[in-house]
Order: sequence, then C-alpha cells, then structure tokens
Amino acid sequence: MKTRVKSHAQMPFRVGMLFVLPALLLFSIFILYPLATALSYSFFSWKGTLQGPFVGFDNYVTIFTRAPFDEALPNAFSHNLLLFAGAMIFQNSVGLGIAVALHKIGRLKRLFQTMFAMPYLVSPLVVGYLWSLLLSPLFGPVNATLKAVGLGDFAHPWLGDPNTAIWAIVFITAWQWIGFPMLLYGAALGGIPEEVTEAAEIDGASGSKRFRLITLPLLLPALGTVSILTFIGAMEAFPIPFAVGGSTGSPAGATDVMALLFYRTAFESGDVGSIGNSSALAMVLFLFIFVGAVALRIALARGERKLYG
Amino acid sequence: MRKRLSALGLLGVSALVLAGCAPATPEPTATTQPGTTATAEPVEPVTLSLWSWRTEDVDAYNTIFDVYEAQNPGVTVEFEAFLNTEYNQFLATGLEGSDGPDLAMVRAYGGVQPLIEAGQLLPIDGIVDVSNVEQSLLAAATGRNDGSLYGVPFATQTLQVFYNKGIFDELGVTEPTTWDEFVALNEAIAAGGYTPMALGAKDAWMLPIFHEIVGAARYGGPEFRDALLAGTKDFTDPDYVASIDVVNQMTEYMVDDVIGVAYADSQIQFTSGLAAQFPGGSFELGNFKTQAPDMELGVYLVPPPPGSPSAKPLSAGWGDGSFAINAKTQNQEAAIKLLNWLATPEFGQLFVDEVKQFSVIKGLSYSDPVMKEMNELFLSGPTAYINLVDMRFGDPTGSTLIGEGIQSMFLGDMGASGVADKLQTGISTWFVPGA
Repeated sequence: MKTRVKSHAQMPFRVGMLFVLPALLLFSIFILYPLATALSYSFFSWKGTLQGPFVGFDNYVTIFTRAPFDEALPNAFSHNLLLFAGAMIFQNSVGLGIAVALHKIGRLKRLFQTMFAMPYLVSPLVVGYLWSLLLSPLFGPVNATLKAVGLGDFAHPWLGDPNTAIWAIVFITAWQWIGFPMLLYGAALGGIPEEVTEAAEIDGASGSKRFRLITLPLLLPALGTVSILTFIGAMEAFPIPFAVGGSTGSPAGATDVMALLFYRTAFESGDVGSIGNSSALAMVLFLFIFVGAVALRIALARGERKLYG
Repeated sequence: MRKRLSALGLLGVSALVLAGCAPATPEPTATTQPGTTATAEPVEPVTLSLWSWRTEDVDAYNTIFDVYEAQNPGVTVEFEAFLNTEYNQFLATGLEGSDGPDLAMVRAYGGVQPLIEAGQLLPIDGIVDVSNVEQSLLAAATGRNDGSLYGVPFATQTLQVFYNKGIFDELGVTEPTTWDEFVALNEAIAAGGYTPMALGAKDAWMLPIFHEIVGAARYGGPEFRDALLAGTKDFTDPDYVASIDVVNQMTEYMVDDVIGVAYADSQIQFTSGLAAQFPGGSFELGNFKTQAPDMELGVYLVPPPPGSPSAKPLSAGWGDGSFAINAKTQNQEAAIKLLNWLATPEFGQLFVDEVKQFSVIKGLSYSDPVMKEMNELFLSGPTAYINLVDMRFGDPTGSTLIGEGIQSMFLGDMGASGVADKLQTGISTWFVPGA
C-alpha cells in the first residue's frame, strides 16, 4: 500500500491522463462512438442509409415479436448458450486435465504447450473451413478413416445432420481454444507454492484430496477469468459457425447463432429498415453480454472472498 | 487545452484533405479534344463520372468508354471503381451530398429500392430507349412503389444444367428433350458409376437456384409469377408445391447425405469428374474453366416435368445490376445521352467482349461457344428467379425461406407443402400482392 501511495505522488494526475489519452482516444473513436451510434440508430426508422423519424422501441418490438425473429432469435440464442456450456465443460475437463498433466511431467512441457496452443494462433475462419473439409461426407478424412477401420456405421454427415452439426461447432471451437485455458491454468498451477501442497501431504491428504482442497480453490481466479472470456467468446461466436454452416446456420438453422442472425439482418435482409433492426439486435446482444459478464464477475468475487476470507 | 485544440485542428485539416479527394463538380476545360476538326460544331467539353463496384473491370470499362469518347468529342467518361463491399455506403453518401457521380452502377431489385425511395435517382421512362434490353430484366431497375424505370441493367445471370461431355460420350447418352429422357439419362449415369448431379445442399442459398433449374417449368414460370404478384395465386398453389416436390425427387440422383455436402465440395465433385452434371448459374463458368480446363462443357435446360403448365423448358435469370443517373447531376443531358448508349447493342457487344459477362442486350454474338449456348437457352425460355427478383424486398427473404425449407425437406422434417407454407407465411410478413 505504501508503494502505491508513493508512485501516486510521483505521477501527477495530469501526467497520468496524458499517458492514458492515446488509448482513451482510440477506445472512444473505435468502440465508444460506434456503440453510441448503434444505440441511437436502433431508435430510428430507416430507408436504406437515410435516417427516418424517431420510433422509440419499435425496432426492439420487431426483433422480439415479428417473423423471422420470433423463431430465429430464441433458436440462435439457445445455440449460443449451448456453445458456452460446451466450451466450459470441455475447457474445465480436458483443458484443466492437460494443464495438470503438463505441470507434472515438466520435461517436454514447453513443446506440448506450444503444440496444444497452436490452433489458437490460426484464424477461426480458417479453422472452420478446415474442419468442414475434414468432416465433408464426400472427401472428408474423418468418415474415410471410420470406414477404413471398420467403423463405417459411425460415418455420418456430421455437418448435415442438425443433431450433430451444433455439437461439431462446439467441438471445433473447443479444439481451437483449448490452448488458452491450458496456458492460464498452467500458469496458475505454477503459482501455487509447493510448501502448501507439501504441508497437506505431510498432514496425510491423498492426491485427489490435495487437488480438490488445495489446487482447485487456488485455481479459482484463473477459472473466473476463463469463464468470463469464454462467456463473451461464446455469445459473440461468428467465424466458426459462419465457416461451417454459412450465414443461414445450415442445415435448416441448426447452427444459427446470434451473430449470424445479426449478419443476416444487417447485410442480407433486403428490408429497407435493416439498419434499425440490426442495431437493436446488436444492442440487445451487447447488453446481455455486458450484464452477464458483470454478474459472473461479481459471483466469482463473492466465491473468492468466501474461500480466502 | 491548447494542445487539444491543435489536435482538433489537425483533424479538421485531414477532413479537408479527404474532402479534396472526393470528386468535385467537373469544370469545363478549354482544351480541344483530339479528333475534332475546325469545321465541327463547337462542343462544350464535359466530364461524366461513373461510379462502380467492379474494381476488377476498370481496364475493360476504360477500353469501352474510349470508343464512346471517340464518337462523342468533348465528352470524357471517368470510370471510378470502389471496393465492392463498401460501395453501397460510398454511393449512398455520394448521392446524398453534392460530390456524387453523374452516373452510377446500382444494385438490382431490392438493393436499389432505398436509393429510389430516397429520390436519389433520375426516372428514365421515355428518355432512355431500352427497346434493345431483354424486357423481363428491366424489373431489376424498376421502382417497387412507383413502377418507374430508374436504370439500364447491364449484366445478367442465367440458370441451367452444366454437364461433362466426356462422361456423356463415354456412357453414350445425350441431352434430354423430354422428362422421361431426363429421368432415363440420370438412371444411365448412375448405372455408369457416376453421381448424376452435384449439389451443395449444405449451403442453403444454392437450393432455391436448384429449385428454379428443375422446377421452373413445373410451377409455370412467368405466368405463375404474374399471378403471384397480382395476388391471384400464392406459393401454396398446387403447381408450386409440385415444383418443390420435383426437387425432393431429385435426391436419388445425388450422393447420400447430400445435406452435408458444401457448395465448394459440389464444385469439386463436378470438376474432378465424379459427378456428370452440375445444375447451376452462369457465374460458375469461370471457375469450371479454371479448375477443369480440359473438360468439355455442355449445357441444357431441364425438360418440363409431367403436369407442367409450361410446355417448354425454362431458364431462370436475373439482372445483376444497372447503370443509373444521379438525380442531382449537373450534366443531365450528357448523362442521358451516355445512358442511351449503354442500352445499345454496340455497348452490349463491347461489354460481352471486354468484360466477358452476359449482357442484357438482345441479339449479341458470344465468341465462347458455351456462353453462346447459355444465352440462346435463356432467350428461348426466359423466366425470373422469383425468390431473388421479387422476394428480396423484406425480411425474411424468399430465397432464405425456401433454402432452409428444402434443407428441412431433405432431412425428412418437412414435406413439399410444408416448405411452400413456410415460404408463404414468411414473405407474408412484408409482401403485399398487387402493391
């Protein structure tokens, strides 16, 4: 606390502001300003790019009640939630598992970490197209391999069947992002003092007990970060669903997500008032993500306080 | 505070510089154009600007307008192309202010309506001669509310079946002229070990195209469209339902799990010689020629299925964009003269030869034999791709509805009448017949 006061005294408020200014300027121009315009656009009627009169919440009423939104919105939204749930399960089982395993082996840790994090460096659009090629019923190696090893019964039009298509997207997304929770959990595991684990060991705690009572609680901050970022990522998902199912969320809307619905409304609708509707949609999505992320943050902070007193 | 002010000043300066980049009102220059003789009538030099989204065609258009400039001394046509994806914003801003172009390429059908409704385009009924343009395509530039013409369409796309002549020769089969022959042809191809038809059913936008190719004659083409627009029939009409059912019958000539096949995969299926036929749009031609330069391509129209109101096979087409005049242009007379030229066979032929796309002008000659045949097929039975031409003026669009519907049908979740109901219900949220 003392050092913070000291540095505060060395850095006058105005100088501090000067350093913040460039970032603030960029943030205002590229984030805040578009956000404010989208908000204002959503309250007007539109004729192409010509702004019409103020219509209050009409555009919002439209996106919640009128076809195609009345069906498409809940459908797309449920898929976003599914993506979030799927990603959480995958990251906190496989991702955490890999992180723990790598933490234990030590020697080839860096090599494996790099390997698992590799897909994370590739553009999600590329990853999406790559997997749609792998899963193609015509030329895809996945089905070809299944047939070759005598599991032909399991060969499946993965992306053509509405029951598997959305899970394929969950899997592809998880596959790409697995390196991220793995690195975060890895760093958090490295930050747990060995003395604590040793002390528990001396007290006679078994391996699983040590993990449950020592490691897991100390991982909570990392878990919180991963959860919030995953939540935002799942709600905003666009490139992978777009690459896999196209802008309509093929087949028959089975892979539709909120961002695709927004894209269709904004750029493919043919409705002269599409700017109003799509802005309203964007605002609803933003508000949900914002409120959701803040709520998650508060819940996690409470959890941490409870644990650490 | 001073710093902030100077920063604002800097922004102001850059705004001025940007404004300076925008095309200003053309100023008459005193220089005489080469080629004009002293005896010629003195002409006021004029520069016409024309905006476009075809960045890839700048050279072709410059060559074309050189011809016009040579015939019209004193006129300079400045062809300016903008990034396709941002063109609509550029144009809307340009037409709203005073630095807009004299003429511009505008989108077709639903895409041009916002500009028309905002009064930004000059109506050209009676002042531009469009008698050489394929009349069914004028709808691409017609105002939906007032019925006036606002532009001259320039490019068109047509739908038909492409086939691999090599495979047809190997199997000893030929282009079908009746429905029975069409069915027999597909059976023979399947028996020969090839996939009769390549279709990317995973990409919903491809399905309404396929529906038009196999079903246009079954629902009756132009007559059905007239009735639909007048409100005497709708998409739940038995003939239209039957046309969707034709699509369903075709699945036996495709690979299993066609619903999982992506559009790009279906192209490979055809260009790699696994599938003998590809029902598709004229826009495929370039890709087929690059991917399979040695394949000999043929084209035909699907014969009318039994019970069809149309006796002849139909080729659905649509206008892909139009030339229009800015309502605020200072050079209206010269712009009208140029637009008239853009509706002549002379321009059409230059467009075909230089830009290498289908023109909307009748009676042109295509040097490429496949293009020539596609054009003849279209002119032999032209009809409109209804779900693009008429059903993209609102949300949801007709093509999205029928595309998703056909996917549900392929999955077995919906019958043909269910697809038609979905389409009719969806477009009813905004489409009013007879309006």
